[in-house]
Amino acid sequence: MTTLNAQPVGATQASGRFAGDWVIDLANVEKVYAGRFRRGNVHALRGIDMRVHRGSVFGLLGPNGAGKSTLVKILMTVIRPTRCEGLFLGAPVGDKANLKRVGYLPEHHRFPEYLTAAQVLDYFGALSDVPRADRRRRGGELLDLVGLNNWADKKVKEFSKGMRQRLGIANALTSDPDLVVLDEPTDGVDPVGRRDIRAVLARLRDEGRTVFLNSHLLSELEMICDRVAILVQGVVSSQGTIDELTRDSRRYEIDVTSDSTGTPQATAALLAASLASVARFEQPPSPAVQSPGGPHGLSLRGTLGHQAQGVANTTPISIEPGAMGSSAATIKVASDDARMIQPIIDALRASSATIRAIRPVRSSLEDLFMQAVTDPTTGLALAPGAASTNKREAGNAARAGLATGREAAR
Amino acid sequence: MRQTLAIFLDAYRELNSRKLFWIVLLLSFLVVGLFGCFGIDNRGFTFLHWSLGFGINTAMMSESLFYKHFLFVNFGVKFWLGIIATILALISTASIFPDLVSGGAIELVLSKPISRLRLFLTKYATGLLFVTLQVAVFSVGSFLLIGFRGGEWEPRILLAIPIVVMFFSYLFCVCALLGLVTRSSIASLLLTILIWFVVFVLSASETGIDMWKTIAEERVRLLHEDIAKRETELEGLRTTEIAPGLANIGNTLLIASKSGSLEQRRKRLPDAEAAMRKVGWISLGMSGVKAVLPKVTDTKDLLERVILTVEEREGLMRDAARDMSNVEIDQEAEDVKVDMGKVQRKAFERKFSNPAWWIVGTSLGFEMVILAIAGWIFVRRDF
Repeated sequence: MTTLNAQPVGATQASGRFAGDWVIDLANVEKVYAGRFRRGNVHALRGIDMRVHRGSVFGLLGPNGAGKSTLVKILMTVIRPTRCEGLFLGAPVGDKANLKRVGYLPEHHRFPEYLTAAQVLDYFGALSDVPRADRRRRGGELLDLVGLNNWADKKVKEFSKGMRQRLGIANALTSDPDLVVLDEPTDGVDPVGRRDIRAVLARLRDEGRTVFLNSHLLSELEMICDRVAILVQGVVSSQGTIDELTRDSRRYEIDVTSDSTGTPQATAALLAASLASVARFEQPPSPAVQSPGGPHGLSLRGTLGHQAQGVANTTPISIEPGAMGSSAATIKVASDDARMIQPIIDALRASSATIRAIRPVRSSLEDLFMQAVTDPTTGLALAPGAASTNKREAGNAARAGLATGREAAR
Repeated sequence: MRQTLAIFLDAYRELNSRKLFWIVLLLSFLVVGLFGCFGIDNRGFTFLHWSLGFGINTAMMSESLFYKHFLFVNFGVKFWLGIIATILALISTASIFPDLVSGGAIELVLSKPISRLRLFLTKYATGLLFVTLQVAVFSVGSFLLIGFRGGEWEPRILLAIPIVVMFFSYLFCVCALLGLVTRSSIASLLLTILIWFVVFVLSASETGIDMWKTIAEERVRLLHEDIAKRETELEGLRTTEIAPGLANIGNTLLIASKSGSLEQRRKRLPDAEAAMRKVGWISLGMSGVKAVLPKVTDTKDLLERVILTVEEREGLMRDAARDMSNVEIDQEAEDVKVDMGKVQRKAFERKFSNPAWWIVGTSLGFEMVILAIAGWIFVRRDF
């Protein structure tokens, strides 16, 4: 097996093919599966509003049963929506002719086992109405791209899971698409293969194509996606660029050790006293306020008290002491502005505390995801799957879910 | 067109990958070869250059009729293509729609710029491709065989191709619908064969009921004739001048006897007419049921109409009527004897009396309805 190479596929540059900025611009997408034999209806999607910018890599996240695949299948006309407004590549969702411009890799796809890799690309390319000469030319290039050039004449039944996935990605590109929809593209692929697939995706973006990714692998999405949407129980709980979504979680953390050899509370109090000139902590500084944020459930919270460029500073600051018997603590400043922490560093250096590390921190996509799938009122994970109701409750639930989803999307 | 050709090419590749396709094709060659080994001479059957000395001989039918009717139509089309090869074809094609709609495969094709209805109908046509190839091989082989061995180059033999494909399509549309609904090759295959069996039984029952109806009608007709004849005879006896004495007594006794017989037949007539009406209603009901079902047997019989000449058909009818003329079906107690040869001949005539447009039209109507249902399901379903 060779690795994916990054040579040009000879594809038409997709940049500038669209008049508009949005490749996908959806509103109020609903899907209700009617229950049979008096079972309740299943509200798989409860009012999805989503926009995907041209030329971007868009990631769709969500727990199992959130409705990700249902949404993708609606776009690809595999499933009929109960309600769907908006445009897909500038045409209503369901417009078959539009699918010429879309490449699709379904989750758990199954190619005919009697075909060779080259025949698979030729057959599905022909179904996409690609002329024979183009199919021939692109087929070889795409197999080379995904590292299957030596397997062109081997039957699919001889392929491993990872090779089938590579073939699926090549197949999604046969029609030289403007939009590539990939449902779990790295499923069953080894780490080297995943890296190669990421390289292909990055190249597609560089060529101006739009990539719509549906995946569980948050770290991979974080590496490649420009924008993400998190789908929970059939509604979009949040969407935007990763920068936008993690902006509120950005902070600086300063690891320090103090001269205190007492309790964590004593360490926190000593550090609070050292920072008295630049920060105001909740009074009294001792005993410490109990907080679920600290490693021992103990931390001190306050705000920076100094002026920053003439503006009153209310940036939150907290001191989280280390383990019992340890003099270590972490000072957290809820800002990504390095100027905010300069007075703190000065105050610490003026005291007996030792600065061990200073680092900028932001929430990972995984943190965002976990936050999205956690019920804020109970702190427990939301039940997986779509909402299921009986017919009498279906209308009310759908309306309530729709309102919730729109609110979350906003 | 590019997409349609791609689907057909894929169907060919799929067939090519299946051993059963080649096995059935090979068997078709073997059956044609076996036909070539058999023949008839003035003593009976022959096998290669050996005369077996029994069975049909050239005095009973010509060599060309033996190949055309006895081997090709009766054995080749009705038995081999009509039953064995059809079952093998159903086994080979039953998986087309369950495979198409299976998870992981259906997304790949539905996400292409081709309408669902077109996809469904093209896939359906690819299923018929299998049978077309099989029947074409068999028919062309038979055409050459009959030409070389029977000395008659009969191009109408090639009409077996569209007729058998049409017959298979009646079953395949049911198989496609069941494949879409059950998503199981085995279930759709078994249910299709079951439905085929039910249709066959209904068709056979209709033939039996038709014969029963013919017998009842014939009996009523004979009773009427017999009654009229006896009435005339009795009238003659009554008006005859008889001399007094013993002759008069004899005449009186004869009149009494004839009157008794006449009365007996008059009493039987209402029962016979009631039976005729009853069987008429049953026959009508059966015809109504059969009208909406595919005419699997009648369609295969169409080949006899186009291949046999009027003289050949007349000869076959005569032979069948002769074979049945000595048969009596539980009518020892009856006063009138129905000629079963005549009944057989009427049944034979009825077999050829239904117009071809009726057989083909109603059967294709059934197929259209089933395809419309299956197509509607395929177009509307979420996968």
